[in-house]
Amino acid sequence: MLKKPLLEIKNLFAKVGDKEIIKGLNLVINEGEVHAIMGPNGAGKSSLSYILSGKDGYEVTSGEILFKGKNLLELNTEERAREGMFLSLQYPTEIPGVVVSNFLKHSLNAVRKYKGEEELDTVAFMKLLRLKASELGISPEMLKRFVNVGFSGGEKKRFETLQMALLKPVFSILDEIDSGLDIDALKTVSEGVNALRREDNSFLVITNYQRLLSYIVPDVIHIFADGKIIKSGDKELAIELEKNGYASFLNEEKNEE
Amino acid sequence: MKNNSLIKDVELFLDDKPSVYALRSKARLVVEKVFFSKKDEAWKYTDVREIINKDFEIVADNDGCKNSCACGNECNECDDVFIKIKFCNGRIHIEDYNLPKGIKVVVLPEVLYEGEYKKYLYGTFNIEEHPFAALNGVYLEQGVVIEVEKGVKNLKPLVICYNSDDSENRMFNIHNMIILGKGSELEIVEDYKNSSESCYLMNVVNEFFLDNDSVCRHYKVQKESFNAYHTVLNGVKVYENANYKQFYLAKGSKLSRNETLINLEKVNANAEVYSMYIGKSGCLTDITTNINHKVKNTSSTQYAKAVLEENSKACFQGKVRIEKDAIRSVGNQLHKALYLGDGAELNCKPELEIYADDVKCSHGASSGEIDGEQLFYLTSRGIGIDDAKKMLIDAHLEEILQFIENEQIKERFFL
Ligand SMILES: Nc1ncnc2c1ncn2[C@@H]1O[C@H](COP(=O)(O)OP(=O)(O)O)[C@@H](O)[C@H]1O
Ligand SMILES: [Mg+2]
Repeated sequence: MLKKPLLEIKNLFAKVGDKEIIKGLNLVINEGEVHAIMGPNGAGKSSLSYILSGKDGYEVTSGEILFKGKNLLELNTEERAREGMFLSLQYPTEIPGVVVSNFLKHSLNAVRKYKGEEELDTVAFMKLLRLKASELGISPEMLKRFVNVGFSGGEKKRFETLQMALLKPVFSILDEIDSGLDIDALKTVSEGVNALRREDNSFLVITNYQRLLSYIVPDVIHIFADGKIIKSGDKELAIELEKNGYASFLNEEKNEE
Repeated sequence: MKNNSLIKDVELFLDDKPSVYALRSKARLVVEKVFFSKKDEAWKYTDVREIINKDFEIVADNDGCKNSCACGNECNECDDVFIKIKFCNGRIHIEDYNLPKGIKVVVLPEVLYEGEYKKYLYGTFNIEEHPFAALNGVYLEQGVVIEVEKGVKNLKPLVICYNSDDSENRMFNIHNMIILGKGSELEIVEDYKNSSESCYLMNVVNEFFLDNDSVCRHYKVQKESFNAYHTVLNGVKVYENANYKQFYLAKGSKLSRNETLINLEKVNANAEVYSMYIGKSGCLTDITTNINHKVKNTSSTQYAKAVLEENSKACFQGKVRIEKDAIRSVGNQLHKALYLGDGAELNCKPELEIYADDVKCSHGASSGEIDGEQLFYLTSRGIGIDDAKKMLIDAHLEEILQFIENEQIKERFFL
């Protein structure tokens, strides 16, 4: 069966401030695929996720990004989200004064409205929210708190997963969703993510550790260093990486040059 | 400063009673003599010349507003929840208040001439020090006196609605007195509403008397015309163990001044003044609070949150005076501003005058802009940029709103 590309990144260069951060990146993710990106700290993985979601300050200098065949770079952040792009942040932002349930209602209704679906009233929304929250082991009490304020590392990541479950994006970037999680939280979050996998939606999983990839099993693994992908392969690659570290790959690349 | 246009010969109810006439004449003398001088520190940042130069028509009417008036009935839906008193274009709307036991409402003229309440009039401040209150006194006629009897609690909140749908070029002078008996409790909401673009002066004096162990929550929601002037003086006396709390939202008005003068008269008296204001371009918001700690173990809090749009002006003056006998008193003050654009001007002036030992006083101010990370987080969840900004502005104010326990009242504060 011919696979349909969902996200196509072609020879991308980008900078933040004066600093060149993405240097000739090529990546195609088809519908239904899970890709993993692994790479050393500071390689530019989080930056890539911000570029994909259109954050201010991250500037594409050349190259192209197509999302569902459309030019992604023409859309602003909220339009990308409404088109079905979701970024689970490495460090979710705390927003004192904004209550979780209110935030999620605004968010879901903005996306529903864009899709031409009916907006949910408070009663219907709260019913849905409580259901999704309980599936992820999130207490009703947490829904009354301010967004991410005072959440533990695990709670933050569960909360990101909850948002994903509500918004049902077609493309989700999970930026180190495993960081700061104990093994139980890692299981819940991974199960939450796996439950969202469908034939027509895709994931880009950013991680430093092979461990996550035994829970969320990717179709393709990329090794990312110095602003681009230096090697791609299947899950054997992650195991090899775990054994030998990034250095061997980086050297390999140097020798090829 | 010249003020000829402020003083007009109008016929007021009870002018024929010498004692009432004398009250008005005294106020008139104050206005004629020293209405404003350049040296007036209390008005340093708020230039009232344009008000003085306006030629407002005086609203005076001994009959009050009749039931047939065309004033809006905007809060009809909450009749069951609130006791409602209305002022329509500056005149009290006479009606049967259907009051629960333990609360009395009388119109001001009944009080001016004789009776048990007269002693309260001008009991909280000296008109010679408050020019707009003096101006209010020149036309002293409209207003209500509300008394909650000793020990009476759990009343429905009382709302005073100031509707002004026919307000162009008019000056409204209203004087209210709120008297809480020992151990009583009252929630009072002042709702200033005008969605027109008219230019008028809303000049109000409120006097609060909180007898021992009483609790008064004073909510003021001001959403007025962007061409209006709003000058209010709240005089407050707080006795032993009593607690006065003010929640104030200011949005609208070309120039608005909310001045609160609180005297903590007896031990354990406590006052809290919470303000939220949205400074609009070309508008000036002035929040002035004076708190006198007269005896020991008194405490006060002032906390203000500002949202300053581009080219708005604001002035926050908070004075805490701790007198010699007021040992072990606590006075805290905090102002936090959120700037939405360039060219906003904020004068934040805390003043501490401490004459006693062993007191705890603090003041602080901070300011910032909308946080880019927070904005990104919200928009990356599909929320439109304008909605996201509004959520963050609300969040800024939420820190104060969260102290309002009554949900129905809290809703009135939503922007
Ligand atoms: N807003 C920014 N301004 C300046 N430098 C940045 C900014 N964001 C990231 N960087 C720099 O870009 C590099 C890549 O960072 P990042 O994308 O967070 O890497 P990774 O997620 O792979 O650890 C780092 O050197 C980091 O310091
Ligand atoms: Mg990172």
